[in-house]
Amino acid sequence: MPREREKDWDENLYKKIDRYDLVQNLEQCLQCGKCTGNCPVAAITPSYNPRAIINDILSGDITRLLDSEEIWRCFWCANCYRVCPVDIHYPLLMMQLRYAALEEGYGLKYVQPINKYAFRAMEKGLTFVPGQKGIEKIMKLRSQLQATSWPEVSEQAIKEFCEIFEQTGAKAWMENLENMPEKPLRLSFLEGRITDE
Amino acid sequence: MSNLHITTPQERIISAAQRIGEVPEKLFLFRSCTGSMEYPGTENSIKEVLKILEVEVVMDSDQTCCSGYILTCSGYPPEPSLAITARNLALVEQRYGLDTYMFCNGCFGYNTELSHILNHYPKYKEMANNIIAQYGYNYQGKTRIRHVQELYYLLIDKIREKVVRPLNGLRVGVHYGCHYLAQQYGILDEGDLPTFHEEIIEALGGTPVFYKERRMCCGYAVGRGFTHKESVVEPHLAKKFDSAKEEGVELITTCCPGCNVALDREQPALAKRGFGPYDIPVIDIAQLIGLALGVPIWKLGFNANTTPLDRVLNKLGLEKGE
Repeated sequence: MPREREKDWDENLYKKIDRYDLVQNLEQCLQCGKCTGNCPVAAITPSYNPRAIINDILSGDITRLLDSEEIWRCFWCANCYRVCPVDIHYPLLMMQLRYAALEEGYGLKYVQPINKYAFRAMEKGLTFVPGQKGIEKIMKLRSQLQATSWPEVSEQAIKEFCEIFEQTGAKAWMENLENMPEKPLRLSFLEGRITDE
Repeated sequence: MSNLHITTPQERIISAAQRIGEVPEKLFLFRSCTGSMEYPGTENSIKEVLKILEVEVVMDSDQTCCSGYILTCSGYPPEPSLAITARNLALVEQRYGLDTYMFCNGCFGYNTELSHILNHYPKYKEMANNIIAQYGYNYQGKTRIRHVQELYYLLIDKIREKVVRPLNGLRVGVHYGCHYLAQQYGILDEGDLPTFHEEIIEALGGTPVFYKERRMCCGYAVGRGFTHKESVVEPHLAKKFDSAKEEGVELITTCCPGCNVALDREQPALAKRGFGPYDIPVIDIAQLIGLALGVPIWKLGFNANTTPLDRVLNKLGLEKGE
């Protein structure tokens, strides 16, 4: 565990992480831990602990958050949100925590392979369009069903879909990630936990 | 600070009749990327089933992907997804004035969540409407977002009457998928112990099997199937399949093509890593309803499955080409 420095603490951390103002009631967290008890990822990676992550965000401790490997394991299944007694939308918090990590160069390897499909979606209007071989397989399956050989998405729809990405600056944000140097991650919530990693 | 999450005046669980109201004569079916590419039989089966249930289906080629999946992978900021949600839903509002029915839990969850944000944060609604105005759209939040499974449940008696190929006690384990059950308000059943799929299975003449991990996530959300397959997804799925195997599940049904990919395509990989082996075919609940209601089997698109359905079809005395 590296030494904690004063500059690692930030009392505005919660507002910085929740940059889109989507998790307005985080301060109501009771630290009851139902999120963790219901988390399928915590069952496999015991050092992943949503309760501890919320605690760190509220207390302003950034030392373990950004370079954490654990935050990339969340499935976004939203079981935490379902059982939360004060309805904290933890998945939206996780999404924004990952933005903060990405912008510092952490976890790029966990987003770039998926963003490859996002770039392709801008050409096709559909997400997870496979390569040429996969496309042929889909066309064969669809024609067996006597459906159109490809899902009907109009040229106009694809154009508008792509333009929305350009106009909101999302495309530039994604291209910026492509060119960033990657920083290493660590399992940073291991302290006091019995794990086999 | 607003406490919009706390004071939302909605019931946690409501009946299908409250959720949908009158059975619609016509509905807008939202195209799912995975449901039309990986498993085109899903989309086809839904259309066939709704035809038998006398509900007209409308689709539109100007509708695009909901864009929620990669958003939740933190692949891009939420602005494009908010605008795309507003665009797709405004299209339904303006052209058809119908309710929007999803058949993918992803589309359902993301559209519900993003439209909730649009409806509760004026700044995001304005941002989205400013962008889509150039294409002639204006999102007002009129179309209601529903899942087709809610309609099946509402029409369960009609489905029961129309069964022509009863499932003869086939042991079916269901998988609900998180992004339906994790909605906190206004869903059909209690997220901890849902039973409405089991009731549908019973209506089709099958034996619903309550396996231990039936409530558990498929593990493929937010791209973890790409990035954490070995460290998290496979051990997680093995737990699920072990409990299904223990209870003698012969078939798993889903209501989300994304979950279907995870549960169906992963089985050979799990066997290679020393789990299982498992041989439990996985299909959409619409495909199973279609099967029971007598839709020709070639129209259900079982050819897309990695884990073949031959044993299930044999047990029911059916042929693949029928």
